[in-house]
Amino acid sequence: MSVIDELLSVPADWLRGDGEENEMVLSCRVRLARNLERKPFTHISGAEDLRDIQGEIKEAVAGTAAMGEALVIDMDDILETERMLLAERRLLSQEMVQKYQNRSLLVNRGEGVSVMVNEADHLRMQVLESGLSARDAFRIISALDDELDEHLGFAFSDRLGYLTACTTNVGTGLRVSAMVHLPGLVHNNDIRQVIDGLRHVKLTVRGSYGEGSEVMGNFFQISNSITLGHTEADTVEDMESHLKKVLEFEKKARESLLREARSLLEDKIWRSYGILKSARLVSPKEAMGLISAVRLGIGLGIVTDVALTDLNEILIMIQPMHLQRLHDRAMKPEERDRIRADFIRSKLNKQ
Amino acid sequence: MLCQFCKKREATIHFTNVINNQVEKIHSCPLCAEERGFDYLKKSNFEKDHFLAGLMNLSGKPEKVTSAPDCCPNCGLTFHAFRQTGRLGCSNCYEVFNRQLLPLLRSVHGNTRHLGKVPRKLSPRVNRKRRVGELKNELKRAVKEENYERAAELRDEINALQNSSPPPEEE
Repeated sequence: MSVIDELLSVPADWLRGDGEENEMVLSCRVRLARNLERKPFTHISGAEDLRDIQGEIKEAVAGTAAMGEALVIDMDDILETERMLLAERRLLSQEMVQKYQNRSLLVNRGEGVSVMVNEADHLRMQVLESGLSARDAFRIISALDDELDEHLGFAFSDRLGYLTACTTNVGTGLRVSAMVHLPGLVHNNDIRQVIDGLRHVKLTVRGSYGEGSEVMGNFFQISNSITLGHTEADTVEDMESHLKKVLEFEKKARESLLREARSLLEDKIWRSYGILKSARLVSPKEAMGLISAVRLGIGLGIVTDVALTDLNEILIMIQPMHLQRLHDRAMKPEERDRIRADFIRSKLNKQ
Repeated sequence: MLCQFCKKREATIHFTNVINNQVEKIHSCPLCAEERGFDYLKKSNFEKDHFLAGLMNLSGKPEKVTSAPDCCPNCGLTFHAFRQTGRLGCSNCYEVFNRQLLPLLRSVHGNTRHLGKVPRKLSPRVNRKRRVGELKNELKRAVKEENYERAAELRDEINALQNSSPPPEEE
């Protein structure tokens, strides 16, 4: 069994969808950027330096309580399509799909805790959890950080904090992000205002797949942009309290939709469900829109025979590299549309 | 007004110093202030620091302190290269290009001082520094309010904290 098969043999924990507010908050992710003292940062390091750093970090991570049993995936040993698959699972950055030599991914079974080695920074640790769970996620990652620092010694300045390759991460090196589902605010056109409001409090809003990605299926990624001058606890708490505000707005938008256009809304939800259960060809964009409508139906208590965890699994599995892996061969987009529709039908009609 | 120490350069730093409960008015140029260790007043305020640097250049003097070093001696990265990629070369770059980076960090983060987590082995030192920083701010306030008694106390407390830093293995 290849290491990727081994990873895929256990479902990702965050997909279970059992966290707080899990219909509106798919997942929370926290990551810490760290670098080793006295070593050049990744982008100017030669192969020899990169290999040294890679070896040192792999050894230190293997010695931790949190990641002693982690799977070790060396990027040089896997195919580009497999790196893309890991990116679809949110374990790898796009940058690492392209720049893979002497780089690794260390990841726990269940995919809750992972470390990218030699990305823009020597270490990018990540904790990914279901629902509104940034506090919990931060506690886990901070413990891992403490443990690794004992062995590795991270680059740190008294004044500027943890030193990172990019000045946008210096200080705490902490990025907290949440993937949220906001169909109500999109429907009633308040989303613009909410996004502007979030920008005002220095939070960044993006499409669901990070930087530069398109908004699909009313999924948005909200993350902090400031890492210097605030404690980690404040960053996490600010994030959670702003998120809760957004969720309140979303709930109000849904209530008014139900009040003013209940039949229209119900029709849209049931039609979407019907299409997903019977379509033979579905593009990624159409799929996301339909999934969003059914998800909203679950949130409103209208659709009761679909589990969120199944919808979450569908979201991951209908991505191109996941579909190809299912059939173990490369496919053209049109062929994937067929396989995508097949997969969704099989998942939703199983009851 | 001329600097009271070198009596050559313009005094741009004016403050009241308190030593052993004796109040003393100080008028100093930035260089003499730095030599005599009064520079914590300007160091604690980057804007002012930068402003002073600007003034010093305007006066036509060749300014060695503020000019950029060509490259980081540790990793060889030039500031020009940083500007192009947005990435620094190593942790040492942050020290080498400190003066150029601070305005940038301020514009990105609105702040230039880390308040978060500290690696466990450094925390006694960093906590002491943070405490000294707080006391210095308080001292500035006390001097501004002409509360010299409180200022003297603070001054002693700062000195005591700074002198209590024996750690042989640190840095």
